[in-house]
Amino acid sequence: MQQPPQQERSPTEFLSNVIGRPVVVKLNSGVDYRGILSCLDGYMNIALEQTEEWVNGQLKNKYGDAFIRGNNVLYISADKTRKREPLNIQ
Amino acid sequence: MASATNSTNQLLPLELIDKCIGSKIWVIMKSEKEFTGTLLGFDDYVNMVLEDVTEYENTPEGRKTTHLDQILLNGNNITMLIPGGEEYLLQATPLTSQQITKLSSFLTKQIKRSLRLSLNTMIFYYLICFYTL
Repeated sequence: MQQPPQQERSPTEFLSNVIGRPVVVKLNSGVDYRGILSCLDGYMNIALEQTEEWVNGQLKNKYGDAFIRGNNVLYISADKTRKREPLNIQ
Repeated sequence: MASATNSTNQLLPLELIDKCIGSKIWVIMKSEKEFTGTLLGFDDYVNMVLEDVTEYENTPEGRKTTHLDQILLNGNNITMLIPGGEEYLLQATPLTSQQITKLSSFLTKQIKRSLRLSLNTMIFYYLICFYTL
């Protein structure tokens, strides 16, 4: 009770915060998927846009949209910057 | 006892982790992987939100490190959580070449000194023997 209010963020809060942001999703196999996170659920099932597949630090493939089944996900990583306005691309 | 939650002097495992929120923590995975970072939160599955994370991957070629701003780590593959972060890891890191040179020069000095001492005593005893004879 005496503790100062900390910047506690639960996993569900994190999930709602990262939607629409560029993320890196690492799978248990070691493969990285970089893209814009369009939506996800509590199972960590993920839909990515503008996805890039990185294997051993090398870009292997690009997908417009990708669905990743949650059981394969090791972590979802996002930049610290708070929600940014989407880039103006004509 | 089942009434452990009510006892004041006993701390449940997840209460310990709850106390770590806001401070550094070290996460060891099932595979040859480790993470350290500031714990922001976790849930019942021990999925964890970490900030300023360093990912360590132990491979036969050596340890690979990656820095990550903020991650949601899947709890499924976590084996151990250690409050305090990477200060424990630092103890386990091998010596730098500079430290090794310092240590080896110190040891050679010590060995030379002890050799010189034993040589001196040998000469001393030899002389004593020589004179008594």
